[in-house]
Amino acid sequence: MMQSALPLILLCSPGDKRTAGIQQARSRLGLPPALTVPYGELLEGVPLSELLERQLPDAVLSGALEQSMTGIQTAGPTPERPERQRTEGRTLLRLESPGGSFALERALIALGAPDAGEQDDSLHPFGQQHDPYPLSVQAAGQLKELPGVLHHPSQWFRGYCRLLARVQWEASRILPAARWQNHPGDIAAMTDKRRTQQLLAAAGVPVPRPLGGAQPPADYESLRGLMLSERMHRVFIKLACGSAASGVIAYQINPATGAELAVTTIGVEQYITRPPVYYNSGKLRRYTVSSVLSGIINWLYSHGAYTEQWIPKAGSAGVSFDIRQLVVLGEAGHSAARVSTTPITNLHLRSKRMTPAEAGLTDEEQHQVRRTAVQALSAFPRSAIAGIDVLVSSGSSRRTYVADVNPFGDLLYDVEYEGCSTYEWEMKKLMEHRIISS
Amino acid sequence: MTEVKLAVGYNEYEDGQRMNTEIERLSASPEAAQLTSLIIGDWGQAYENSSDEVVEALVKHSGSFPSLRKLFIGDMSYEDCEISWITQTDLSPLLAAYPELQSFTIQGGTNLELSNLQHDKLEELIIITGGLGKKVLSQIAAGSLPNLRKLELYLGVDNYGFDGSLEDILPLIQPGKFPKLTYLGLKNSEIQDEIAAALADAEVLDQLHTLDLSLGTLSDTGAEALLASERIKGLQALNLSYHYMSDEMVARWRKSGLPADVSDQQKSDDDEDWRYPSITE
Repeated sequence: MMQSALPLILLCSPGDKRTAGIQQARSRLGLPPALTVPYGELLEGVPLSELLERQLPDAVLSGALEQSMTGIQTAGPTPERPERQRTEGRTLLRLESPGGSFALERALIALGAPDAGEQDDSLHPFGQQHDPYPLSVQAAGQLKELPGVLHHPSQWFRGYCRLLARVQWEASRILPAARWQNHPGDIAAMTDKRRTQQLLAAAGVPVPRPLGGAQPPADYESLRGLMLSERMHRVFIKLACGSAASGVIAYQINPATGAELAVTTIGVEQYITRPPVYYNSGKLRRYTVSSVLSGIINWLYSHGAYTEQWIPKAGSAGVSFDIRQLVVLGEAGHSAARVSTTPITNLHLRSKRMTPAEAGLTDEEQHQVRRTAVQALSAFPRSAIAGIDVLVSSGSSRRTYVADVNPFGDLLYDVEYEGCSTYEWEMKKLMEHRIISS
Repeated sequence: MTEVKLAVGYNEYEDGQRMNTEIERLSASPEAAQLTSLIIGDWGQAYENSSDEVVEALVKHSGSFPSLRKLFIGDMSYEDCEISWITQTDLSPLLAAYPELQSFTIQGGTNLELSNLQHDKLEELIIITGGLGKKVLSQIAAGSLPNLRKLELYLGVDNYGFDGSLEDILPLIQPGKFPKLTYLGLKNSEIQDEIAAALADAEVLDQLHTLDLSLGTLSDTGAEALLASERIKGLQALNLSYHYMSDEMVARWRKSGLPADVSDQQKSDDDEDWRYPSITE
């Protein structure tokens, strides 16, 4: 079975936890290891074809190419959801998280530079908007690794979208019959919270109400104006392309006293002679001084930010939680309640993890969470897998809302479903749906 | 014991639900007569709306809750409202309306008053705030609670409404002020060392089984004063958890054989200032 030798190609950082998890899952299931295409070399400009040829015997690649010549035409630049026929042996391309190393971050910021040559911004949901104070390729290359520092989020995201566009195009040339597990365009949309929430709302998925509707806030002044005029006194402001708790602020105005309060992981280093440096702090900070707050908030909006109603989350005894729910091909699998004593529940902020039942959700509420998560992924019809963050509101109504769709939200340690790790379960489902072959 | 919690969350409030009608509905329900414990949670945008309507409704319907012994006003989390932003009002009419009450818990100190604090049967008074005003402290000191066994005050910080000093706290520990008091909590304070020093040799210790100085800024200074006291040896429990004492001091407490809880040691800010990369998952 020549085709079965190339069931899965991973674009990834080889050796990281995710890649290891996938390879381990495949080995447990008796599947051959996935081929790995390192982001590092892609970003150095090495073509996808060359990176694949290095790992594939010629015959196999030419087999794939030959198959692609006669293959199904759905797998071009905009492939549709996989069809059932003729799926055996077709290559599946899986994009993994581009995070985890400063070298990649720097290379992506360089790729997002205005002088990065002719680039394709078509996957960037708001590509026509300008990034603030852009860094040249050279300046980006000189960035120093400073722990937690948010060097240039919007230019990073532009670079990431360009990389996605490039691999999509290259794959369509050399492996036209191949399919994407999650289409690069969907990944770009999921990575931009503004677009994610638009798509979810358009698909009828319950989401926290966005502040400002079609005229969202663009800076500190308009934020405050809209909060007061819409009587939405408590909001989350989220860096559009932030991952996890990066660039998230829980912000509130007291309409009675005029006081304001922000809880966030964003830390600021102030300088006299140059602009402040913003970084992710491991400790939640509380800001109450307008001059500091306006600086942080304006910086966030300059890089693109999304503002939504702060839904009071369910909880008890001084903690609240949300649910990370894995969805694979329309089916809800692994889940974890992220329980925190703060409004920001991300796991690396020392949140505690529980099962949804331990966190206090009834069977019906758990069912509702799963249904909502499945509905959320279906708003991205070209994607098979995502980790959905679902809130359950406090009070008697206990409604569910989707706060985020994470294309790489399946790294959940020590959570099992149907006796499988997340990656094993994904591989099983992909096989069941004949998207990969054994 | 039957307990009910009423809460009007953000959505319910936006949908027009109001706490006073919830209280009225409960008062008309069959369970009202047996109800022993009532918890009033979020009454909807509590940073803007005070507990006035809650008090009014509970006073109006007090006849419907003859078994009520335990009352909590303001049980909500930061998800609903910052504790220091919860707007209270004068809650003492509730005490007059419920003469059989035994336990009264209040959360939120903004605009809180207890103008007429008289109750013959009240055994527990707990006030949880980010900052308790000196006006309330003087109202408690001026009150008459002959049966009070437990007094627990979260004093808080200047920024969130604590405008007093040790002078405002001392009247609460005058001998004979609360003759039946056995549990005293003067906690969650930014002047925790001063309070510890003032209490270390206070006569009131002789009647207590528990002294609770937890959740504040207690350091070695306050701890030294406590350790030097003979009076603390009569306590059955000394709660000092969440503190800024040194490792050496914690070890001294452990060796002392005293029933002190010295858990949850806080570290200086430097240790907490770790940073994480933005893209980790």
